[in-house]
Amino acid sequence: MPKGYVVNIPRSRRVSRSRSNQLSKAADTLETMEESGEQGTELVSHHGVILKSSPKSYDCSGTLSLMLYGRNKYIEWKAAEVNVDSDTQDHEWAVVSTGRSSRHRSNSECARAEPLRLNTVNLKSFRVSRHRHGQHLTFAQRGESRSFTTFIFHQGNADVFVKSLLGQLKAYRSRRDRNLYHLEEEDSQETQELRRSFAELNLFPETAPYGVWNFIGQFRQRPYEATMGAFCKITDALLYKPVENDDNSVAELLNHSLMEEDTVIANVSGEEYEVIESKATPILPSRPLVTRGSPLSVERWAQATAADGRVTDSAAIKKIVFHGGVNPSLRYEVWKYLLGYYPWNSTYAERMSLRKSKVEEYFQMKQQWRSMTPGQEERFSDFRDRKSLIDKDVKRTDRVLPFYAGDDNRNVELLNDILMTYVMYNFDLGYVQGMSDLLSPLLQLMSNEADAFWCFVGFMDRTCTNFDMDQAGMKLQLQQLHTLLSIIDPQFTRYLDEHESGNMFFCFRWLLVLFKREFSQEDIMRLWEVFWSDLPCPNFHLLFCAAILDTEKENLYANNCGFTEILKHVNDLSLRIDLESTLSKAEGLYLQLMNIESDLPDAVRTIIGLEPLHPEEGDSESDSIGEDDGDCSNHTEHDSSIETVSLGALSGEVAYDRGINLQYM
Amino acid sequence: MSGNNVVLGRGSGSRVGAGGTPLAQKRLNTSKNVLLKVVILGNGGVGKSCLMNRFVSNHFDQHSFHTIGVEFLNKDLEINGETYTLQIWDTAGQERFKSLRTPFYRGSDVCLITYAVNDQKSFKDVSMWCKEFLTYADVKEGSTFPFILVGNKADVSEEGRQVTQEEARTWCKENGNPPFIETSAKDAINVELAFQMAVDRWIKFEEKMDRHYESEVVDLRSVKPPQRASCCMNGQSSRTEE
Repeated sequence: MPKGYVVNIPRSRRVSRSRSNQLSKAADTLETMEESGEQGTELVSHHGVILKSSPKSYDCSGTLSLMLYGRNKYIEWKAAEVNVDSDTQDHEWAVVSTGRSSRHRSNSECARAEPLRLNTVNLKSFRVSRHRHGQHLTFAQRGESRSFTTFIFHQGNADVFVKSLLGQLKAYRSRRDRNLYHLEEEDSQETQELRRSFAELNLFPETAPYGVWNFIGQFRQRPYEATMGAFCKITDALLYKPVENDDNSVAELLNHSLMEEDTVIANVSGEEYEVIESKATPILPSRPLVTRGSPLSVERWAQATAADGRVTDSAAIKKIVFHGGVNPSLRYEVWKYLLGYYPWNSTYAERMSLRKSKVEEYFQMKQQWRSMTPGQEERFSDFRDRKSLIDKDVKRTDRVLPFYAGDDNRNVELLNDILMTYVMYNFDLGYVQGMSDLLSPLLQLMSNEADAFWCFVGFMDRTCTNFDMDQAGMKLQLQQLHTLLSIIDPQFTRYLDEHESGNMFFCFRWLLVLFKREFSQEDIMRLWEVFWSDLPCPNFHLLFCAAILDTEKENLYANNCGFTEILKHVNDLSLRIDLESTLSKAEGLYLQLMNIESDLPDAVRTIIGLEPLHPEEGDSESDSIGEDDGDCSNHTEHDSSIETVSLGALSGEVAYDRGINLQYM
Repeated sequence: MSGNNVVLGRGSGSRVGAGGTPLAQKRLNTSKNVLLKVVILGNGGVGKSCLMNRFVSNHFDQHSFHTIGVEFLNKDLEINGETYTLQIWDTAGQERFKSLRTPFYRGSDVCLITYAVNDQKSFKDVSMWCKEFLTYADVKEGSTFPFILVGNKADVSEEGRQVTQEEARTWCKENGNPPFIETSAKDAINVELAFQMAVDRWIKFEEKMDRHYESEVVDLRSVKPPQRASCCMNGQSSRTEE
């Protein structure tokens, strides 16, 4: 709690049903206090607010409150009751900046000012505006009088007051001016609402078609619940009309964007999915201390290679790679296996001919785009756009490394050529920002265009869903991360949820380019080879995320970071994460999970590659979801069964999300 | 009913978590500065991040990375004796990431639409960026918004230039007269000025909205959308308040 700061500001965000019930209960209690008459109840109050009088008279400072007298709420302003010398005495709440105090009436004069009372029933709207010296809050009255009352908040914190007002008054933000709030007319409000058509009631936010279908789908299968659900929303709309504020709505919009479209299908089918946290969360045993191993050595590699060149014990090799990585001098060789360019059991001879044909194939594809005439390009905008973007991005990829530094660097050109050739190899995917980051270390290591290309193909096979047109792969991973985290660290997950960060968007960059921007080139090579071992489980990279967050969470708590601060904190971690200790921790997390394996919810089990314990519950949906992995993926099989599980509880909101996505993608 | 009192202490706004009291945090910031959310938009490679970095840290890195996801930096700017804290948001420009970029438009106070003077396409897409911004920024049909148009990379040679100042001015005339400025993040030309103009634009806009409110509030609910032509006109201007 920041020092000297506000207590209990009612949150003016979209509220749940239970929340509006609380609210109406609160209202009831207030009404029973009616008899108190002149006494009134103070609902909101704010000191040091200046009543702006006519230009000629002086302004004076006082307390602005929202008061309840009888059934009516009033905006009330009272001049500060103070001694003459109180400017200094009152310094704890200093509001009037000393530089300007000469413009104000002395406090003794001020105290004589009449209190001012505005019945909120007569108020039409209010607006916050920001001025050179703080913020103004202006109330406009209903009717012909065109009368305005303006209060000055020198500290520029009228917003705080407004936010509290919004918790008490039925107001909504203007669509055209986001600093303007209209007050509902108390008397006619209910009738107004009821007169509106069903659809206009916002029961199906924004994109009616999907919402309606959703509703109908649910109605068919579970008429009772669906109807009650809809009525609950009517109650919500009547009792409490939320007024959005900006940071909340950024996060909320982001949630919509990050929601998987598959959940929509699942909802329309009428199924309901339990949110993981609603079950009793299993308690993890303490985390075992994991020590990392040493990298795969030249001797061990030689030992694993048979006389004809086959790698005899790939499982053992992968295990070594997982625990300690690969000796840098072997990477050139071993990565080709890890990335599926060379089969583990191929002989020297087979690999030689494989490589020969792959090199040929590469240059054939390269020739395709290089032989495009200017006229062809002119008429081929998709191609042209990709070419131009690649050109821009390779010039901005790892140019600080000696390998890519300097003007007219040949390696930058190679980066360009490989990406252009990949566009011809997989035109549907094309080029998406982030790919150049994934290619850069491969090229640096291979130093050979064709080899780097085929390794890149192998890498993209693993990660291409990151670059889906609809970002489905990224959305899924962010959800999966949240699911894992809710078991690994429920308290921290709750913190994120409460700070508009449950969508895990702040991990977007980590996941999109697999931490490429977070580590040095040397470290990233180590990290990737560990990931490519596919041990100890699928989605180990998500446990790696969880490990970083585990290290950082105390910082986030300590600074009470919200949505923007979390994003900033995580962005700023770049090049400041210790690789080996984080890998140890990630493996420790895995071992913890495996320790209570049978208590893990299926959603978690499937993420880390375990068979679901109650597969029948998930069967019907996984059929309807489909497994459209795009052209290049053969590594996502473990993903398909969990897609519908975790975020299904958001019902109607999903339709909104879908509306946005379909419209603009 | 003890819960609802709002009391503010001196300089107390610092370090309020955005999550807990977002609205409060937004305006209060660490001091009593006005906090303005500034969004920089434009095609990939026009120099959005470079403009931001030049402005915030007076640093230019020719080979800086392209932006992945969303980044932001804060910087204080003094105009007419008032200090504004600009929270500058920089996003990835590729179409593919649109759905993850657009939520951040919400709540913006100013928007810098950028192009590179040596990139005709980036200039052609300026209108598209305007439109995308308005669609997602919760600025509704028919209203205006403080945009400014920035032509970056003004350091390029005359042969390299593909967009003239004349063209840019014409675009501005036809699109609600936003201020226009050419900058070079590389050579540190006009960058601070561009952000000052943006804030200035916001101040004027805010004053106008204020006057508009005080003069028209009585009829607000039935008022027609302003008939000004503007880059901020969002096409279908049929919706009115409520």
